[in-house]
Parts: sequence; C-alpha cells; structure tokens
Amino acid sequence: MKTMRRILISFSLTSLLSLAVFAQSDGSQQNKTGRAGTFAIVGARVVTVSGAVIENGTVVIQNGKITAVGAGASVPSGAERIDGKGLSVYPGMIDSSTSMGLSEIGQGANATVDIAEIAGNNSNAKAITAVNPHSSHINVTRVNGITTVMSAPIGGLITGQGTVINLNGSTQADMAVESTVALVINFPRVAGGGGFGGGFGGFGGGPQVDFNELVRRRDTAVEELKKTFAAALNHAKAVEAYAKDKSLPMVPTNLAYEAMIPYVRGEKPIVFTAERERDIKAVAKFVADMKIKGIVVGGQEAWKATDELKRNNIPVIFTNIYSLPVRDDDPYDSLFDVPSKLQAAGVKFAISTGDVGAEARDLPYHAGLAGSHGLSPEEALKSVTLYPAQILGVSDRLGSIEVGKMANVVVSDGDILDPRTNIKHVFINGRLIPLTSRHTELFDSFKDRK
Amino acid sequence: MRRVLTLFTFLLLTVAAFVPVSAQARGEVLIKNATVLTAARGTLEGTDILIRGGKIVRIGKGLTAGSGAVTFDATGKFVTPGIIDAHSHTMLSAINEGSLAVTSMTDVKEMLDPTDITIYRALAGGVTSALLLHGSANPIGGQSATVKFKWGRPAADYLIPDAPLGIKFALGENVKRSSQTQTQPGQTFRYPRTRMGTMEVIRDAFRRARDYKQEWDDFRAKKTKVPPRVDEELQPLVEILEGKRIVHCHGYRSDEHLNILRMAEEFGFRVGTLQHGLEAYKIAPEIAKHGAGVSIFTDSWSYKLEAYDNTPYNAYILWKNGVTVSINSDSDERMRRLNLDAAKTMKFGGVPEEDALKMITLNPAKQLGIDKRTGSIEQGKDGDIVIWNMHPFSPYSHPEITMIEGEVFFDRSRDKLNRAVLAKEREELEKLDVNKAPGSGGTPPARPAERRIKERDEADRGEIGGDN
Amino acid sequence: MKSKLVLYAFAAIGILFGGSAFAQSYAVTNARIVTVSGATIERGTIVIRDGLIYAVGANTAVPADVQVFDVGGATVYPGFIDSLSNLGLAARPTPAPGQGGPGGGQAAAAAAAAAAGQPSNSNYPSGLRPEYATLEDIRAGEAQFEATRNAGFTTALSTGRTGIFTGQSALINLAGDNVSVMTIKSPVAMHVAFVTIPGQYPGSLLGTFSALRQMFNDAKRHGELLKMYAQDPKGMRRPADDKSLEALVPVVNGQMPVILVANRENEIERALNLAKEYNLKAIIAGGQESGKFVDRLKTQNVPVLLSMNFPKRTAAAAPDADPETLDTLRFRAEVPKVASKLAAAGIKFAFQNGGATNVNDFVAAAVKSTENGLSKDAAVRAMTLSPAEIFGISDRMGSIETGKIANLTVIKGDLFGTQKTVTHVFVDGKLFEPKPPEVPAGRGPGGRGPGGPAAGANPAALPNVGGTYSINIAAPGQALAGTLSLTQQGGQLTGTMTTELGSGPIRDGRVTQNGFSFAGTVMFGGQSIDFTVQATVTGNTFSGTVDSPQGAIPITGTKNP
Repeated sequence: MKTMRRILISFSLTSLLSLAVFAQSDGSQQNKTGRAGTFAIVGARVVTVSGAVIENGTVVIQNGKITAVGAGASVPSGAERIDGKGLSVYPGMIDSSTSMGLSEIGQGANATVDIAEIAGNNSNAKAITAVNPHSSHINVTRVNGITTVMSAPIGGLITGQGTVINLNGSTQADMAVESTVALVINFPRVAGGGGFGGGFGGFGGGPQVDFNELVRRRDTAVEELKKTFAAALNHAKAVEAYAKDKSLPMVPTNLAYEAMIPYVRGEKPIVFTAERERDIKAVAKFVADMKIKGIVVGGQEAWKATDELKRNNIPVIFTNIYSLPVRDDDPYDSLFDVPSKLQAAGVKFAISTGDVGAEARDLPYHAGLAGSHGLSPEEALKSVTLYPAQILGVSDRLGSIEVGKMANVVVSDGDILDPRTNIKHVFINGRLIPLTSRHTELFDSFKDRK
Repeated sequence: MRRVLTLFTFLLLTVAAFVPVSAQARGEVLIKNATVLTAARGTLEGTDILIRGGKIVRIGKGLTAGSGAVTFDATGKFVTPGIIDAHSHTMLSAINEGSLAVTSMTDVKEMLDPTDITIYRALAGGVTSALLLHGSANPIGGQSATVKFKWGRPAADYLIPDAPLGIKFALGENVKRSSQTQTQPGQTFRYPRTRMGTMEVIRDAFRRARDYKQEWDDFRAKKTKVPPRVDEELQPLVEILEGKRIVHCHGYRSDEHLNILRMAEEFGFRVGTLQHGLEAYKIAPEIAKHGAGVSIFTDSWSYKLEAYDNTPYNAYILWKNGVTVSINSDSDERMRRLNLDAAKTMKFGGVPEEDALKMITLNPAKQLGIDKRTGSIEQGKDGDIVIWNMHPFSPYSHPEITMIEGEVFFDRSRDKLNRAVLAKEREELEKLDVNKAPGSGGTPPARPAERRIKERDEADRGEIGGDN
Repeated sequence: MKSKLVLYAFAAIGILFGGSAFAQSYAVTNARIVTVSGATIERGTIVIRDGLIYAVGANTAVPADVQVFDVGGATVYPGFIDSLSNLGLAARPTPAPGQGGPGGGQAAAAAAAAAAGQPSNSNYPSGLRPEYATLEDIRAGEAQFEATRNAGFTTALSTGRTGIFTGQSALINLAGDNVSVMTIKSPVAMHVAFVTIPGQYPGSLLGTFSALRQMFNDAKRHGELLKMYAQDPKGMRRPADDKSLEALVPVVNGQMPVILVANRENEIERALNLAKEYNLKAIIAGGQESGKFVDRLKTQNVPVLLSMNFPKRTAAAAPDADPETLDTLRFRAEVPKVASKLAAAGIKFAFQNGGATNVNDFVAAAVKSTENGLSKDAAVRAMTLSPAEIFGISDRMGSIETGKIANLTVIKGDLFGTQKTVTHVFVDGKLFEPKPPEVPAGRGPGGRGPGGPAAGANPAALPNVGGTYSINIAAPGQALAGTLSLTQQGGQLTGTMTTELGSGPIRDGRVTQNGFSFAGTVMFGGQSIDFTVQATVTGNTFSGTVDSPQGAIPITGTKNP
C-alpha cells in the first residue's frame, strides 16, 4: 500500500518536473530565480521548529516574509493558494559549513575553483566576492529543501570571511543574507608527518614526527596567531587615533588587519576548524584568552570537551556524520552519536555536510543519521534549521516558520529528513523557486532516449 | 596476572563473541514475526524465517525450530537481505599496481586484510558481501575478489567459493592520468595519455591474449614442440574471451563506456558491469541491448570533470530501460549507509521500493554472479540477513543484527556490551611490561607499505593520485 | 692499494687485540656440557683438535699434547647460530638523493635496492635477480663479527638487505682470515622479501606477488626447456641463457629452500599461499604471528626462523597523544608466546635476530620465550641444532658431538638467569675471549653496530668530540635538521640527539680514533627504530652515516661555537 503510494507520488512528480522543465528550460545554465507573489499554503502540517507542530495549518507569504502562521490564519485576497493537504511545511534547511559557489569542479577544472587564497592571513578575502550565483550546485541543493548556506573559503591559516547566502539570486547581493558573517581560521592543530599516534607513515607523508614536537609546533603557531590578533588590534587603535588627530603618523594600509577588526574585538564570530579533543580545547583556551566569539567547525571529538565549550559559549558546527571513526578502536557509531552527546551536555550545535557544495543537498540525511543514533527527530531537524541560524546569528530572519521571518519555506510530502520524501515547493526570500536543476535538465534530455 | 587474563579471555569469548559459535552455524536460526522485505517477492508482514545449515529453509508464518535453535524476536522490526556492495576496496592491503597499463596478472584476492576494522563497520551498516576491486590506474587492472564479510575469520573464509572470477578495467581520467602533469626526473609518461590510447591498450592486450591462446592450442595439438610460457598477464584475458571471467569496467563518460561495449562485442564477450557510469543514463538503451549491468553512485557528482554530467536520475533511467542497476559505495565510509542511497532512487525519478532495495541486494548479486546463493530472501538462499530497527529506507533506521549464513557477525546490543570488555582488555594489556613506556631495544620489523584506511577513502574516486 | 694496506693493518690489530691464538688443540675440562643432541654431561671434557670436536664425555681422557683449558664448572653449549642476519656485508648503500620519498623506510630501502643495482645482463630489474649470491659480498674482518661472537654466537646465516630476492644466503662462521674458510655452506636458501620496486613494476604488493608468480612459472618452464635441449638440441631454439631463471629452477623444483620474510598475519598467510601454490620448500622468517598458523605450518611442513626482536613500547606517552591501538598492545603481548606455541605444535623453528641492532636483545628474547612457556632445552635447540637441521648441516654442527665442527660457547652463570657471562667462544676450534663489558651499567657487551676500537685505546690519543652540533640528516625526501649534544668522558660519550622525529638520549657512545659512534632510537611511522651513527670528525665538523633497518643515510654536523 505504502509502496503504491510512493510510486504514484513519484510518477506524478516526474511528470510535474518534465512539465516544469518544458515550460522554463531555456537551455542555459542560469539559475532561475523564481517568482515573487503572495502565497498561502493551506491545510498543511506546519512544522514551525520554533514552536509546536500545527496540524492543518496555514502559512502566508507576502513581500518576502512569512506574514501569518496558524491553524486559523486568514488567507489574504489575491493570494495564490497552495493546497497543503497531505503536505508538510518546514523552514528551509541551512547548511552552516560549505564553500558553495566557490568551486564548481574540484579536480581537473582548476579555473572553476576559487576556494583557497594562497596567503597565510586571508582575512580580507570574502567569500561573497567569489560565490558564483550560477553555479549548478546551487539549484541542485535548493530543490532538496536547503535554502541557505554559509559559504566560506578554506585556504591558509586565516582563510577569509564566510558569507550566509540564500540559494537564489542573479547577483551576489541578491543572495546575501549576511555578506560577511564570520572569519574562518584553520586553527593550528597537533598534526603532521604520517598522521596520529598509531598510524603508519608512508603514503603521501613525510616521516612521522614526535608527538611532543607536534604539540610544541602547535603552541608556536598559536602564539603567532595571537601576535597577529594583537597586531590587528594595534592597527585598529592607530587608525582610530589618526582619524582623530591627523598630526599623528599616517597608518599604512593593511587590508588583512582592517578586515580582522570586528572579529578580534569580539563583535563578530570567528569560526575555528578543529576536530580532536586537544585541538578543540586549545580553541576554547584561545577564545577565552583573546576574549572573542568562537565557533568550532568539524568537532569530531567535541563531546570530549563539552565543559570547555560551554564555559566559553562556543557552539559546534558538526561536519562528521559522513566520516569514519577516527581510530581503529573507536566504536563504529562514534561519530554518528556526537550530536546526541553534545545535546545531552548542553552544547549548542548544528549539523552540516561540511561539503564544498555539490553534496550539500545531503544535509537532511546527515541529520537523519544523527537521528538514528540517539538524537530525537525533532532535535535532528533543529540541527539543520534553527540551530545553525542561531549559531550564525541570523535566527532573527531564518531557521523557523514564524511571522516576520524571511520566507524561506519548503513544502514536502513527508519528513524532510527522509530520503524518500519529495520536495513539492521551495520558497526563498518569498519567491517560489522552480524545482529544476542541472540534474532535472539532464534527466529531461535523456529520459526518453530510445 | 595470568589468571586475570584467562578469566578475561573467557569473558571476551562469552560476552562479546563475534567468533561465531559453530553449533549456531550448523544449527537452526529462527527470525520471528518480522516485516520481511524479500527483494524478490515483495514485502511479507508478520513473517518468520528459518535458517538451517546457513541456508534459508522456510519463510512463512508460525514457523517452529528445534531445541537449540537461536531465535530472534523481530516483532516491529524489518528484515532485508544482506546488502551487497558491488564496488569496494575495503580490506585490501594494496589497491593499485599502477606501474603498467595492463596489470591483469595482479589479483586483489592476495591482498585481503581480514583485520581491517572497516569490515566490521560495513557489517554495522548491513553489508554482508562486496566486490573488491583493483584500482583504476590502468586500462586493464587486476583480478577482483568477491567476498562475504566474515569478520573474525581468516582471509580464505571471506572468498565466496563459487563466485565467478572478475577483473577490473578502467577508462577515462584516472587511466590517462590527467592529474599527472609532469614526470619525475628520469621517468616518462606512461602510455596511454588519451582515451584513444586507452582503447588501443585494451585491444592490443586482447589480441595478444588470442595469440597466446593460439600458442597453447597449437602446443596441445602437438603442432609445436616447446611449451609456451604460463602467462599471468594473458591467462585472465583468455578467461574473459572464454566467458569465464567478468569484466567490471570503471568509466564515467558515456562515449567511453560505449567504446568498451563495442570492443567487447568485437572480441565476442559481454561486459559484466560498467562501474560508476555517471553518464550511463545517456546510453541506457545501448547498455540494455548489450546486456551489461551498471553499478553507480546514487548521486555523487562534480568532484572531477568527467563526473560533471551525472544526475541522480541515472538509476531511474537505467531501471526504466531494463538495465540491472546496483548502487555501490567505492568507500569505506559510504558503504555504511547504502540503504539511504538506495532510498534516494525512489525520490529521483520514482523507482518502486522493492526495485530500489534490489539495487543494493539482488542486483549487485546478479552482477557478481552470486544471485543463486544470496541477494534476496528466498528459500534455498544463504541466510545473509539484516534485522533493522525500522524500515531501512527511513533515515532513523539502523541494523540491529547482521548475519551471514545464519551466523551473527554484527549485533548492536552485543557491540555495546563489548565496549566494556575491550576497555578491560586494554587496561590489562597496558599493565604489561612490553606495553609500558619507555623502554629500549626491540625494533619491530617494517610492515609492508600498506595503504591505510584514510588514504584509501580519499583516493576513492581518484581524487588523490588518480586511483581506484 | 692503499685500502688493502689499511685492511692488513686492521687484521693485524685484530690479531693483537683479539687475544686469539692460532687454532690449536684444547681440552676443555671441568665443564657442564649441554650437547643438545644427547643428555647434558654435568661434568666432562671436550677435546678439540684441528677445528673439530675430537672427543667429548664425562670421562674423556685429556691427551698429553693439548692445552688444558679448565672452565671451572661453566656451561659449554654448541656455538649459537643466528639463523638470519646480514653479517659480513658492508654497510648498506646510501640511496641517491631524491630517491625514496613517499612510502617511508620501506620505499627508501627499496630505492636503495634500485640504486645498488649493478650493471647486469639480467632481464630483470635490480631487486628481482635471484642469481645474486650473498657470499660474493661477504667480507672477512674482525670488527663486524666481534660483538655478535662476544654474545655467544659462532655462526650466522647471512643474506642481503634489499630487493625482493635479497640474495641466496650463506652460512658462515663468525671468525676466519678469509671468507673461504669462514663459509660453511653457500648457497643455503633463496630469500624473498615481499617488498616493491618503487617507480617500476612491481610498484605495489599486488605486483610483487604477480611478478614472483610469473618468474616461478618461467623458471619451471626454463628448467623443462633446458632438459629438452640437453636431450635433443636439434630442431629446437636454444633456451635463453637466463641466469635469473636458472637460479630459480632448484627453487621451483623444491630442491632449494626459499626463506620468505613474513611477520604479521597477512604476510604469513600470503607467504604460505605462495609456498603451497608452487610447492616450495618454504621457510618463514620473522614469524611474529606464526602462532596463529600452527596447523598450516604443520600441514605444509614449513619451519620458522623466529625473530628474537620482540616489539616493545619505546616512546614515552604524551598526555594528549592517542592511545596505542589494541592491535599494537595485543601484538606486543603475543609475540613472546609464539615460540612455545610452535614448540607445542611440533613445528621446527630456529631463532634469529630480527634486525635488532643490539645482539644482546637476541638472548634476552630467547630467555623471555622460556618465561612464556617454552622449555629451556627447546630455546637452546632453537639457537643450535634446530637451525643446523633447517639448513641441512646438522651432520657437521649444531650439537656437541665427536667429529662436528668445534663451535662452542662457554657461559658462566645461568643462560636463563640474570647473571651470566660469555667467557669464551670457540669458532672452528679457535679460542676467543670476549673482553669484559665496559659499556654503561645494565647493558651487555656493545651492540653490533656502534662497537668500536675505543675499548682498549688510549684516551689521550682520542680526539675531543664533546660539544653541541647543529646536524643535518639527509633523509630521503625530507632532510631532517636538529642538534646533537655530546659529553665526552675518556672514550665514552653520552648526550642527546634532537630532530623533528623527537629527542632522545644516545646509547653506547664511543669516541673513535678519528670520530665517534653511538646508537639511539626514534619513533618513525608508528614504530620505534633503532639506529647507529658512525661519524668522522674534521675540525669543528663531522660527517657520517645513520644506519637503521630502514637504510643508511648521510649525517653531517657543525659544532656550535
């Protein structure tokens, strides 16, 4: 019975897709930006995330915003009605650690890769400058219900500034939710040579280096980083003094230091990549020492450093659901259950694919796997909607179905974390997005080839 | 001290034993009251499965077993055939012999490492069998191994005895080494550097294999006096020509996959599987006509140039054209969640549930030539079975029991118990002098340069070193 | 010419300082005689004449013409045999810069093999030339054998270090003026190590096995062709004069034993499979996990040359470091039990040094085996008669019997206790008296590598090498920089070496006539690796070689002002 339903739904989706493609495909690789309007999704199961689930509810979208939510919300006249019977409404999912739009084809097409600058301090490199609004990763991702991502560069010690973007828009400005949301630092880690303790040197690595020496190198690198922070603070001070008193010596331009100012002053968060317990604890110490706002991304062993994370208000963007356990002796589920451990310990966390972009559409299944290993389905859903919005400081606009929030809304025919679920409608910033992508276009081109 | 260890060993064997009890192996196993996804004959509610001597002997309601049978109450649980991964490099100490363009003389069966922990992790993801392939460094790679993950057993026990022979072929970027832009001093580029050269390497090898066979035929017919050499490189190719060895051909672009189908037809054999086949959907009718299977990633794409034209609707289009499709992992990590990859095909195009499940069970079994014994829950087949907490296509599902031929090789509840046992063992071992730091003297001999798990995963799709 | 003079001078020093006498006749009296082949004689006499055991027994009469040598109740064993070594071979060749690279030590060693490739007519690359006879490269000379002999060893099987075919081995006595008198048997066996030849086929372990298999196939056929041609050359193209294949013919015919290096489970499994497939007369060397294969070893009748280099943890634990794997911990616990498992299963085995740089670890490990279930008799046998049987020379050595070669080891104290001294060693009837140990407390006579002439030399004549040096080690692929601080006290050195691989104390430091030597241990690739350094000092700089099982690499240093 269930099977039959699925088949029917799938076939109807197929025909719907082909119609859509027929109507809208112009053969270009441009991302179609959909259409604005007033929409009312009526009679749907509304999963607000921030509050209770509303059975048989209505969600109204107007001027890019959610203007009404509730069982008895009235539908404005002229609104385009969408029958929500049998459907569910979710906030668009947010993948909080990607490099979306910065790299189209990672290998063999270097010209499409803008992911890593080559300086050590790339603070002034801004992802928003290089995100390609027409990357095919964008349409492929959003048709699976992910409407927003944090996209950040990855190169050097300080990689640059990440951006929170909606996966829709003809220009970078159209897409930007927060143009520069966080500074990203590949925090110096205890690693090198042929890998960790029990590993074997060999493939690709130089000689394995003594562990204590690695700790020493890490500590040296952290001291260097602290000096860079101090230099940025000094730079800010000198610039401000010169602005007030022109008789002081002019401060030579330093774009990298300039870019760091809001971050080293603790006004905006810094994202630190860190995986192992020792590295995460070092991040926590650094955050405390430097009095900054920190976010850990990666977080394989974050559950072993929950005290340090909590004490310093450091949330974790966990990107290791699709990773093998760190050590041979680790339990088989030792990364699947990290989110549930963080939740139990009271550490703020989000789940992210950590993918460059092409596989970001798997975000719901990352959360689902955490849900099969201790995390409740409700928490799993929050970890890809409200929690990332909170961590990235955009929960005033995104992350839940609430009046006044940006209308990033997804309508599906089932649990949005279920790989069998079909996405029926996607709204981004109030625009109804066509459910086409590079993949549906290829499908359409070849599905009937004899 | 010794007594402690002995007691401890006893604990290990009784509490944690993944070492299968032989009585269990030969005796009866009864799974009660499950929702059985047979991957052959639909879904059976409230159904029992009786396994005897490792084989499924009965499927039905209200089955009983003799005393001494191991019984699993699967009320509220789902049962599927063990998952089969038709493209893996797990448990191999070496994957690529990249020095030559043709390395059919190599055989990954010799490289099995039964101590590789990824085997156990695969079992925990419901995988019971896999095709272990040579890498994709050369047009004709090494011979493959078809295994069941009998964790805890010696390497020889992993090999499925009656599985047909196989071999890896490869086309495209990895083979022509597009990532290699310069050579080491004193080295030259290895032929081929183009897709043209790739096909000629294969053609040349088959022609040489024909010549070789002729030499032997002549000798056996006493037309010649001197016995020809026993050629490790050409012998497997003769077996291909004689239909005794299955070709599993790595490739991405539809044109190159069509090339290998045509060449196979020229030499009179059928290609077993097109591996990866990210553009197979473009030539689905041709593939169907040739009769090759296709083993794909459900939706990986864009990680390299030749992977850009993939679509997750690939499986659906191939299925619609009647092609036998399997979904593989090519990854120790991804292998653990093939159930979710299969589920995606229901969304992308609308493959029916049972056909989606077949893509990770019966279809790969067919492609590997082991469908007579495994791949579905049917009477007479091996008791390769997974018991799930809920429907395996649910994101919240996980295997609770994974068994091969009726023997339990993964048991989630026992795994949790085992953790304390292992911690205790560690504690005892760390007390030994040999494990105390520091010391001096002894130098363990160098191990062979085995590629460890991490590297393998990174190289899965040829992202590093252009391999696999 | 000049080097020859030096060699002569060295030999002369050896005679003067070695305290050895002309091979003469002795009566070793007042001895506890462990004959191995028969019952132990609690008090007896061994008469040695012309390098052979002339008589042995409790009541053996002492001939009038012999020198009486009263050992005062000490125990006399057959001379110990190291059943696998590289003794007598020159320090391994230095790989050319730029070679090695990824793959670490193993690749470096294989690169060294490639570099060592002599111009050859062989159709096979260096590393795949089974015709290589180790004996060709073995050299006589006291210094290289002294340390081993002082530990009670009179005999060793020696094979090359590099390549897949490391060489056809030679069994040599560890004393003699030239190789021809030292040699007991050559070739003894074909040796195979499952390694690769970087940069060419076979470049992976996969290829190593297929390359071996093809050579075995071809050797079989070559043997047949030679036979056919010998019977009737007419109408048949003459078989190629292929020395490599020819060398393998006795191997594939099961006449010549083949010694396969295999320690871990997977390696042993593969070695046994290969042996079975080609019906080889196989011997496993290393065998650290051979305890798991007793049934197969028994069925296939494969003896084991068991490594006495037991794994130990050598690096101190760092607080944040990952714990060692259970596999590692189990492995270390298991290895000392292997000998007793082999013995219990009736598998023939002999002990070998396993690449340890300190020969005293050998006997210590043998003793350790007896603490893990092996009988003391079996342990002695594994160093005497068993290797002689495995190598097919038990008719002439391995036990104390009339007519056998007079290789004897005299030990004061209990071999299996803590207080023991090798007081005398007879090799081919020639008496050697080990010098008393002068190394720091707790260690036996100097290790094989760094031993040097410091012992008897006049400290005043030694150079002053103390100080702190900036050092550079030309490791393949990546040069290592660091510091070496040395404190000199007479002829002895202590100090610390620090590189990117870590920091550690030096051992067995000696000042030599023109430089210094020491030993040490580093962690590399998850393993502890012992190394030795030999250096020549010129002014404020030194240059020399770091020698380890991974290969030899150049080291240079400059003394900091």
